[in-house]
Amino acid sequence: MDDRSTDSDPVTAGESSILDTLGEDVIRIVSPVSLCMLLVVLLVSSLSSTNDLSSSISSLFLSSTTPTSFSSLNLLLLGSDSTWEEIKSALITALSFVVVVTLLTFLLVLLFYFRCTSFLRIYMGISSLFVLSFLGGFISLLLISHFKIPIDPLTFAILLFNLSVVGVFAVFMSKFPISMNQGYLVAIGVLTAYWFTMLPEWTTWALLIAMSLYDLAAVLLPVGPLRLLVELAMSRNEEIPALVYEARPVDPQLGDRVRVWRETTDVSIEATENSTNSANVQTVQETRLAVSEEITAPLIEAFPQTGDRHLGTEEEEDGIGLGSSGAIKLGLGDFIFYSVLVGRAAMYDYMTVYACYLAIMAGLGVTLLLLAVYRKALPALPVSIMLGVVFYLLTRVLLEVFVVQCSSNLLMF
Amino acid sequence: MIMIFIFISYYTNFLISLFASSLHRRRRQRKGERSQIGDTMTVAAGVGYVLIALGPALSLFASVIAKKPFLILTLLSSTLFWLISLIILAGAWRAFLPVKSTELWSYSLLILTSVGFQEGIRIGFWRLFKKMEDMLNAFADRVSKPRLFLTDKMLLALAGGLGHGLAHAVFFCLSLLTPAFGPATFYVDKCSNIPFFLISAIIALGFVIIHTFSMVIAFNGYIEGKRKDQIFVPFAHLIAALITLINLVPGGCNIGLPLLCIMAGTTLYYSWQLVWRRLTEHQTTRSSD
Repeated sequence: MDDRSTDSDPVTAGESSILDTLGEDVIRIVSPVSLCMLLVVLLVSSLSSTNDLSSSISSLFLSSTTPTSFSSLNLLLLGSDSTWEEIKSALITALSFVVVVTLLTFLLVLLFYFRCTSFLRIYMGISSLFVLSFLGGFISLLLISHFKIPIDPLTFAILLFNLSVVGVFAVFMSKFPISMNQGYLVAIGVLTAYWFTMLPEWTTWALLIAMSLYDLAAVLLPVGPLRLLVELAMSRNEEIPALVYEARPVDPQLGDRVRVWRETTDVSIEATENSTNSANVQTVQETRLAVSEEITAPLIEAFPQTGDRHLGTEEEEDGIGLGSSGAIKLGLGDFIFYSVLVGRAAMYDYMTVYACYLAIMAGLGVTLLLLAVYRKALPALPVSIMLGVVFYLLTRVLLEVFVVQCSSNLLMF
Repeated sequence: MIMIFIFISYYTNFLISLFASSLHRRRRQRKGERSQIGDTMTVAAGVGYVLIALGPALSLFASVIAKKPFLILTLLSSTLFWLISLIILAGAWRAFLPVKSTELWSYSLLILTSVGFQEGIRIGFWRLFKKMEDMLNAFADRVSKPRLFLTDKMLLALAGGLGHGLAHAVFFCLSLLTPAFGPATFYVDKCSNIPFFLISAIIALGFVIIHTFSMVIAFNGYIEGKRKDQIFVPFAHLIAALITLINLVPGGCNIGLPLLCIMAGTTLYYSWQLVWRRLTEHQTTRSSD
C-alpha cells in the first residue's frame, strides 16, 4: 500500500485537500476521552482478579468508603439480597446522589452569585488535591500490591506528595504548559472513574441513568442550576471556576508553551469555519478584555460557557460549550461518567467494552453536531450514556451469544 | 518506513508468541512451580495474538489514517455501522441459537444470510458515503478549497473498509482473547493441533484484509459503474465465509486457513491492480489537461 500514499503526492502537490484539516477539533476531544477510557479499562481489568490478596484488602477498604457503605446500609435496612431488593437500593442510592448533587449545584450558583469566586477556587483546589493524593494513593497501593512493585514507603510518600501538588497547580495556574494541564485532568478523571466503578453493579447503572437525566434537566430547563450558572457567567463576562478539559492545541507560534491570554483590548478577530456533519461550527467574533489582577478568559460573544455540576466532594464542570478560542470544552464530569460506563462494561466482558466505546463516541459526535447547530451549552451526558446503556444491553443479550456460537465453531464472515 | 518497522516488529512478536506458547507447553509439563516468567510470557502470547490479527490494520492506521483526522472519524463511524449490522444479525438469529453442531445446513444458512445482509448493507453504506461526499464538496466550495480528489475518495473508502475489518477482528477475535493473557491456552476439538486463539487470529487477519480492500474495490466499482468490480466484492466475501465452513469438519482448519489466506491475497491483488490502473489513468488525464 505504499503505492497509494506515494501516488497521492504528485496528484495533490501544491494543493491541500480539505480532508487534511477537517475534523481536527473533534479528534482533539476524542483522543483524551479515549485515553481516559482506556486507562480505566486497564485498571479495572488488571485489578479485578478475585483470588488476590490485594482484592481482599481493597474489599476491606471499600466497606468503609461512602457509596458502597450507603448502599450496603440500604441493603441492611431492607434485609435481603435478592435482585429486586438490589434494584430498589440502587434506585434509592442513585436518587439520593442526584438530590445531593442538585443541592450542591444550587449552593454553587448561590456562591457564584455572591461573587465568592476565590472561595470556590480554593475549594476546588482542595478537592483536586484530595482526589490526586488520597484516591491516587489508594489506587497506587492497589497496583503496587497487585504487581508486587518494590517501593519503600518514604519514596512513595514523596512521589505522591510531589505529583499531587504539581497536579493541583497544573490544573489551576494558567502559566502551566497546557499539555500538563490536560494530562492531570485526564488523571483526575481516571482516578475518580475507577473509584466509581467500585460501586455495586445495579447502583452504577442507576447512577449513570439518573445523572444523565439530571444533566439533561439541569442544562436545558430554565430553572436548572447549570443553566442559571451559565447565564450568570455570561451576563458578567466571567469564567466559571471549574474543572474543564479544554481541547486547545499547543500553539507553537507563541514561543513558550503557555496558555496565553492576549491582553490587548478591542482586538476583534473573525474566524470563519464552516460546518460539516462532524466539525464544530462557528462564525466567531472575539473581543478580548483585560482585567487588572486576574487574567480573565475572553468570551465568545453570545456563546455561553459551559455549565457546572458538583460531583460528591468535588466540583467539575459539565456539558459541552465553546471555549474562548473556539476550542471545544468538555467538563471533567463527562470524562468520568463515560469512563465509569466503560469500566463497568469491562467488568463483564471485552465485547461490551468495545460496543460501549463505539456508542459513547457516536453519542459524543451527535452532541458535537448538535452543538454546531444550536450553539449553546449542551449536556454531554444524556445521548452518550443512553446509547452506551442500550448498546451494552444489546451486546450482552444478543451479540455475545451469536458471536461466541460462531467463533467457537470457527465460522466467521 | 514506518510500515516496514511495524511489520518487522509485528512478525518478531508473532515469532515470540509462537515460541512462548510452545515453551509454555513444555514448562507446564515440568513439576508445577508457578514462576513470574511464565506469567509475563503469556502476556506476550496474548499481545502476539492481538498483533497477528491487527498488525496490518495498525500499520495502515499509523501510516495512512492517523495523518488525517477526518479519516479517523470515518473509521470510527464505519466500525459503529458494521457493529450495528452485526447486532441486527444477532438479533435476527437469536431465537434459533444455539445451533446443534451436527446440522451443517443450518450453519450454511447462517453464513449465507449474514453475508447477504452485510453485502446489502454495503449499498446503504455507499449511499451514506455519497451523501457525505456531497456535503464535503459543498463545504469545500464554501471554503474555496478544491473538491475531493480521487485519492481522497479512495482514502475514505480505505478508512471505511478498515472500519469494517476492525469491527470483525474486534468482535470475533479480540473479545475472546482474554483467556490468552493468562497462563493457559485452549484447543478446539475440530482443530487440535493449533491453539484456538491462533486460528481465530489468523482468520481475523484474513478477514481484515478482505474487508478493507473489498470496500476500496466496491467503492471504485460504484463510482465507475463497472459490474465486474461490483460483483467481485460480494462474491469474494461469500467465498471467504464459505471457506470457514470447512472448519466444521475435523481437521478442516488445516485446509481452511491457507485457503482463506489465499482469498485474502486475491482480494489484495485485485484491489492493487484496480487502484494502480485508476491512478495511472487519472494521472494521464491530469497531465494531458
